[in-house]
Amino acid sequence: MHTVSIKTIVLVLSFIGGYMFFIIRKTARGKLDLYDLIMLSTVAIIPGAFAIFPGFADWVADITGVGFPFVVMFGMLFAILFIFIHRLTVKIHRLESESCLLLQELSLLKQTNRSKNELTD
Amino acid sequence: MNSPRVLIIIPCYNEQATIAALLEEISDCKQGYETIVIDDCSQDDTYKIACQLSPTVRLLKNLGIGGAVQTGIKYAYNKGFDFCVQIDGDAQHKPGEISKLLKAYKQIPRSIIIGSRYLQSDTFRSTHARRFGGRVIAKTLNALFTQCLVTDPTSGMRLMDRKVIEFFAKHYPHDFPEPISLAWALKKGFSVGEIQVKMRTRTHGNSSIMGFKPISYMFRVLGYIVLARFMRVSSL
Repeated sequence: MHTVSIKTIVLVLSFIGGYMFFIIRKTARGKLDLYDLIMLSTVAIIPGAFAIFPGFADWVADITGVGFPFVVMFGMLFAILFIFIHRLTVKIHRLESESCLLLQELSLLKQTNRSKNELTD
Repeated sequence: MNSPRVLIIIPCYNEQATIAALLEEISDCKQGYETIVIDDCSQDDTYKIACQLSPTVRLLKNLGIGGAVQTGIKYAYNKGFDFCVQIDGDAQHKPGEISKLLKAYKQIPRSIIIGSRYLQSDTFRSTHARRFGGRVIAKTLNALFTQCLVTDPTSGMRLMDRKVIEFFAKHYPHDFPEPISLAWALKKGFSVGEIQVKMRTRTHGNSSIMGFKPISYMFRVLGYIVLARFMRVSSL
């Protein structure tokens, strides 16, 4: 059973506090949406949970059959990050298609307007 | 019976040296073809020159060849054209050869008729890498789609009928559009035919597919073609 020193807890809590303050401020300013906030906050919450409750880390490592508890933590972080990147990729692809469609329609509309103006002149 | 309305789509990027002569050549054909020039945000005077000779759409941002061609296809769809023919703005494709595509359609109506450089004669000059890449793509298409027998899937000279115009107005690949759009059309059940045409060698500018790029182009296109073969028709 691992034990955690007060120093470690203070260090981890200050990281969580600083990081959460930073991303909550960004969300409040409209630079991130709620989904981004939840996903990004796991980067602080998961290591925090593992550091503050070392018994939890041991238990998860035991039931998953992984030798080192920190590997489980990194695995969980990778999984969260992968879901986040996957969602972003899909979103970028969709936005790219939509912006292309808009550009095409707008360009065609401009051409139609120009032709109409030429006819009326 | 009224003669069919044919639109010639000319995607252009920095083609000020050739566009005027090409449009005049089309006009000299006296076949009643209408034209639309799609200027893909050129940095030279292509738009200014083309505007004086033909209806011209200037894209607000560079979309690449696929985006430019699809804009032309959308124009054809909105204006109710029966056929559209895509030719390049660098004047490699001879407007006089367009009638061959229409004649081929009249003989055996196929939704897409490709103007092939290699169907009967093999004399068109190209680099070895490009020829090799083109051959592999053609063989893959022919193997994966049984109703397909093409020799020049990368040709930029193609005739499309109204049904394909409607389909491509909604679904058209933006990367490597010629071979991938063929794969999509075949997957959707459209028929594809070919006719031998003569093409000129490029006199101005350089191709964007040079050096080792044809090989990388080939592998990426093959990936998309295999994907098209196994994707659901409903997703198109």
